[in-house]
Amino acid sequence: MSKFAEPMARLIDELKKLPGVGSKSAQRLAFHILRSPEEDAGSLADAIRDVKARLRLCSVCNNITDVDPCVYCSNPERNQRTICVVEEPTNISAIEKSRNFNGVYHILHGALSPIHGIGPEQLRISNLLVRVENGAADEVILATNPTVEGEATAAYVARILKPSGVKVTRIATGLPVGGDIEYADEVTIQKALEGRHEL
Amino acid sequence: MPLKQSEAIVLRTYPLREADLLVTFFTRQEGKVKGVARSAKKSRRRFGGALEPLTCVRVYWEDRERQELARIDSCDVLQSPLSSEVDYPRAIALGHIAEMLDEVMPDREASDTVFRLAWSVLQNLKAGQVWLPVTYFDLWMVRLLGFLPSLEGCVVCGRSLGEELAWFHALSDGLTCHDHRRIASSEMAVSSRKIAAAMFRAPLDKFIGDPWPRAVAADLRKFLMQILDRHLDKRLVTSAQLDKLE
Repeated sequence: MSKFAEPMARLIDELKKLPGVGSKSAQRLAFHILRSPEEDAGSLADAIRDVKARLRLCSVCNNITDVDPCVYCSNPERNQRTICVVEEPTNISAIEKSRNFNGVYHILHGALSPIHGIGPEQLRISNLLVRVENGAADEVILATNPTVEGEATAAYVARILKPSGVKVTRIATGLPVGGDIEYADEVTIQKALEGRHEL
Repeated sequence: MPLKQSEAIVLRTYPLREADLLVTFFTRQEGKVKGVARSAKKSRRRFGGALEPLTCVRVYWEDRERQELARIDSCDVLQSPLSSEVDYPRAIALGHIAEMLDEVMPDREASDTVFRLAWSVLQNLKAGQVWLPVTYFDLWMVRLLGFLPSLEGCVVCGRSLGEELAWFHALSDGLTCHDHRRIASSEMAVSSRKIAAAMFRAPLDKFIGDPWPRAVAADLRKFLMQILDRHLDKRLVTSAQLDKLE
């Protein structure tokens, strides 16, 4: 028999499904919700319901959005002919923070991962091809992670884009700003040396 | 407890809690070891790219009393798969080696022969040249696991197969002659059996430089995968991915 009333036990079970939330944290969150004012709990429930009901993928770039096309694809002030390809929607905010990129995005929603059975057909590549083949791009920047999976994905996307003649570039890898060469690993140093430029 | 160290191959990593990684290594000294790399997800300072799967490393770890998971102290990269180009076929081949070692090797049971095989294959697995190392690895793994039947004679009548085509079936062990083949058997060319014989006599680097398109020894790879599928009672995810490669 559960030590909590059924609605409470149900809420704890649901919260436990969230990443990084164990039994204790779920209990703490559930009691916090119970003690919070009616309207706060209602807003939380509405926000959760809305996120599932109103969000969808942008038909152009696959970004998560409530309007289609998304804010990046419909913004005339952004360079619509430079497309930055990323693995996940969360990668966009990291790039936006740099304030150095004014183009648009394409989100693959993953990376090629043979060991997890994720092949090209599981990624959202087809509408990128359509964009490029329609002549909508001058440059495609491949900004997948510098991991085996990310590199394989970048190589795969570059290969299928090659026949279109579009310029395909890969983001640089190497030492992080503010880092210390002493603590960098061998591969990072190798990549940094390969990507050196003349001053 | 004192720190242990060994050459090792990183097989897989899984996120654990907020910032940690659960890492499976295949070590030379103790076979497959699982351990926790604290804060590896949050900070790259301590482990850098050393925990990327299929990286050859020197790993330092501490076994804890009455705990199954070791504490990973540090890793030095000896050879990274990211040092050379990673294309999709190479990523599948790398994944295949990791999956096979993870699936077939028992925990904490050292096998220097398997370790040397995997190490050598990883050094020779380059973009655009995956079929030779994959064939060599699969053949030797099936043999070292003790699953490989004789490739010289028919398992039913015992007659030498010599220069004849051989036949194999997904549900039965070994090769058969034409007379004893089962319905829906697959063929194995004489050339593929000769390749297998040559691979048993020479290290992998002796074959490097030979042109090796997908079609070479494809029947031998299919035979080996069918043996593994039968013994593991499941199909490796990466075998299906290799089949789909053009």
